[in-house]
Amino acid sequence: MIGAIALSSLRRRFLVLGALLALLGTGWGLAQDVGPGAGVEFRFAGRSVVVPRIGSRLEILPVLSLLGAEAGYSPAAQTYGVTLGDDFIQFALDRRFILVNGKLDEVPDAPTASPAGVAASVQFLERGLLGPLGYHLEAITGGYRIMPGARFAEPVAVRPAAADFGATTTLVLTLDRSVETAVTDGDGTEPTIHFSDASPRLDSTLTFQSRRVQRLLTQGHDLKVELPEGVGLLSWHLLDDPPRVILELGRRRPTPVPEAVNIAERSGPPPIVIDPGHGGDDTGAVAADGLMEKNLVLDIARRLERRLTTLGYPVRLTRTGDDSRALSDRTALANRLQARVFVSLHANASTVAAVRGAETYYMSLDSSSTDAHAAATADLENQPAQAGSTSSSLDLILWDLAQAEVLNESSRLALDTQKRLNERLGLRDRGVKQAPFVVLTGATMPAILVEVGFLSNPEEARRLAGADYRDRLAEAIAGGIDDFVRSQ
Amino acid sequence: MSWRLLVIVVLGLVLLGLLGWLLTGGGASRQAPREEATGAGPVPTPSPAPHQQVVLLFTGTDGQLHPELRAVPLPQELEARVRVVLGELLKGPTAGLLPVVPYAAELNAVYTDGNGNAFVDLTAPPKPLTGSNTELILAYGVVDSVLLNCPELHAVQLLFGGREVQTLTGHLDLSRPLVLNKGFIGA
Repeated sequence: MIGAIALSSLRRRFLVLGALLALLGTGWGLAQDVGPGAGVEFRFAGRSVVVPRIGSRLEILPVLSLLGAEAGYSPAAQTYGVTLGDDFIQFALDRRFILVNGKLDEVPDAPTASPAGVAASVQFLERGLLGPLGYHLEAITGGYRIMPGARFAEPVAVRPAAADFGATTTLVLTLDRSVETAVTDGDGTEPTIHFSDASPRLDSTLTFQSRRVQRLLTQGHDLKVELPEGVGLLSWHLLDDPPRVILELGRRRPTPVPEAVNIAERSGPPPIVIDPGHGGDDTGAVAADGLMEKNLVLDIARRLERRLTTLGYPVRLTRTGDDSRALSDRTALANRLQARVFVSLHANASTVAAVRGAETYYMSLDSSSTDAHAAATADLENQPAQAGSTSSSLDLILWDLAQAEVLNESSRLALDTQKRLNERLGLRDRGVKQAPFVVLTGATMPAILVEVGFLSNPEEARRLAGADYRDRLAEAIAGGIDDFVRSQ
Repeated sequence: MSWRLLVIVVLGLVLLGLLGWLLTGGGASRQAPREEATGAGPVPTPSPAPHQQVVLLFTGTDGQLHPELRAVPLPQELEARVRVVLGELLKGPTAGLLPVVPYAAELNAVYTDGNGNAFVDLTAPPKPLTGSNTELILAYGVVDSVLLNCPELHAVQLLFGGREVQTLTGHLDLSRPLVLNKGFIGA
């Protein structure tokens, strides 16, 4: 009996294996048509070349020659270089990174040494070499045709999860790898996530229920989110590690009311907390002429306070004099006041004197802010801890979702502020970036850190010393905050 | 007669030897490692680690990180590999770029915890550093260089002078391991 079961199980496994191979054969004709050791044909522009198969890899240098690319080996650098037109790609044997025109990229697997030079998988050939050169592969019987244009869309697995809150729903789509992603609003009822060089594959083992999501549909490079009547996309945000697309869904906002009414209706609104960085013994960066970051940002904070007050916003500063403040105390003050937004002001320094420009940061979730420590910290700041209370998994999931929402808002605040800085000051755009900054950790409201310029750059330091320039900085940051608040 | 006795004795010894060889499992191949382990034979010299490419991140004139490829003997053992990568990083770039650690730092120690975290102990800066750019470039120059060359690692925590620090210039949270962040790698 046991033997019969074992035989039956074995037969079943062979049947499954056979079915899988047949399935693979229909999708990847090459795997079936070409036996081990046989050649694989590549066709391009009326010419063709047959390259030897080495295990699961192929000799790839003849394929590059077929394309007209020049490939060479540098013994000194121990790298291969591939040149086609203006493009130059460097790769090394047994390494999973490549340099495409000097930019670092990672590939699914590494090439290895072979009798003719380099053996690599078809994935490496296409993803690492042909794709960046502007080509993709099309499977044909016994091989591939090299086609110009967009790259082959590799699948990206998407795991959906949703949480319904009072007026909104947070839809979290977790991806199994980083891909270039864009979200469009459609006609307002069908947000679409477009994956530039990947086709989405929904994880069908997961089901979720949400009263604001009817279903998810994949179509080519797109993932469409079907929504019920009256529900629309309010905002969206991308997160890293793991890569996620966060969609905020809810009732479409009514047309914004006029400005005067909007401000007049603010009865006792929460304050905007401005944090002048450093202070006391901590001078921060110091310019060659002695201008200290701690004094500079305090002055800009006061100017910013005046501007925001004029616009009708209540404002609190984390320090009003040359005092030391622990980084965690600054965030804690904003949390206790349930601030509308938190803006930490800094001036930068670099070891490279030529570096200049303003940049805006918001928190990244890559190290600390999603863990129990951060959750507990914020909890303690907001309310007294209950004796014997512990954070459950659900608390942490809710914390993660809440943090995703805070991050979403923080990214919009950062973009609004950076846009105003670029417009008002004509600075080189150093952009919006994410980093796990201590002063932003645990903030329960939209929070950003603005680097107003580089004191290590002599010209920028001279500009930062002037009252007029500081006024323009304050005006730009206030404008960014105002843009953000009005858009809420 | 004596030569016949000699032949018999020799044959007997050969048979006994053969019997002994069979009884002990016939194992020249089994014995060989033991002989090597006890040093009875010549000690083989360990083969040097093969040269492999590492990608190292250095500072560009735009204040961002830029990659440099370098072929170095790269051991298989994880902590040894991290040491090699950091040793090369601390040597500085070969051309066109600038160091990520703005002082003559040395690598004190490298630890891994078996959960994908590495702990890298560098000598502390001789004087306080300033600027978030300085801090970000130092931290992610080290962290990203290690993680790009050691894919089995998930995160790297920086220690300075054998001590954990909350932050180096008052910005970045260094009290916990940092994961790969390509946001500071320039185009």
